[in-house]
Amino acid sequence: MKALILLGCPESPSQTPMANYVSWKLSNLGWDVSVASTPAASKLLEVGDPNNQYIKNKIDIDSTLNTLEEGQFDLLIGFVSKDAAASYFVTFYHILKIKALALIFEKDLDVLEDLTNIVRESTDAEMVSVKAYHNPTPLKVKFNKSLDKLLGNVRD
Amino acid sequence: MSFCLETYLQQSEDYEVLLAKSGFKECAKIINEKAEKVFYVNPGDKVLGARLIGIPPIPVGICPSKGTIIISYTKPCHGTAAIEIPVKNEDIESIKEIAIKK
Repeated sequence: MKALILLGCPESPSQTPMANYVSWKLSNLGWDVSVASTPAASKLLEVGDPNNQYIKNKIDIDSTLNTLEEGQFDLLIGFVSKDAAASYFVTFYHILKIKALALIFEKDLDVLEDLTNIVRESTDAEMVSVKAYHNPTPLKVKFNKSLDKLLGNVRD
Repeated sequence: MSFCLETYLQQSEDYEVLLAKSGFKECAKIINEKAEKVFYVNPGDKVLGARLIGIPPIPVGICPSKGTIIISYTKPCHGTAAIEIPVKNEDIESIKEIAIKK
């Protein structure tokens, strides 16, 4: 089973450590994980994981999008902390047509609500919506709960 | 060789940025205001060889009198821009073929 983790702009400090965590968690559960991101986000992952211990397969987000096909992956997990990231997540969701989880996080509650509404109104994806910036722990806790729920659905 | 939007934007100056570093909804609003006619496509549909990124239904503005189209163009770290690009008639016909009902 193949999982795709979609990263946004790496401006928010919570994204990079959470990307490592999500990849580590899914890999331990037996998933073949790919992480699609910008070169800047990929460089941050690379510095923090020099032996590719947490992330085995890093791919370019735009190249991946250009050749993406329905069902190419079995699970989509997207980091959404900006309007552009919401647009990318929704687009990947509509092309892949698979189970998906959006990790929506922002420090500004109004922006968080806007991003959450975009994903809610445009997809049937599971959502984690949490106020987070420097501290990834609230995102991690809610991700673990949502992943259990989502993978339970996959097994059904 | 088919038209490549990414290469065109990098190498040509023959396009106009109507709105830059903005959100998708703001760009969609500009497209609806500025275009002579608007068609809608699904996220991921290809226009000028590039997949359109955004919230469905994604507007594509057509300006037959100027021979241009207006589309949204999104990059993860730069937000969404609305850009007006000169096109051929066959490009406009291709957009009509993939258009969906709003």
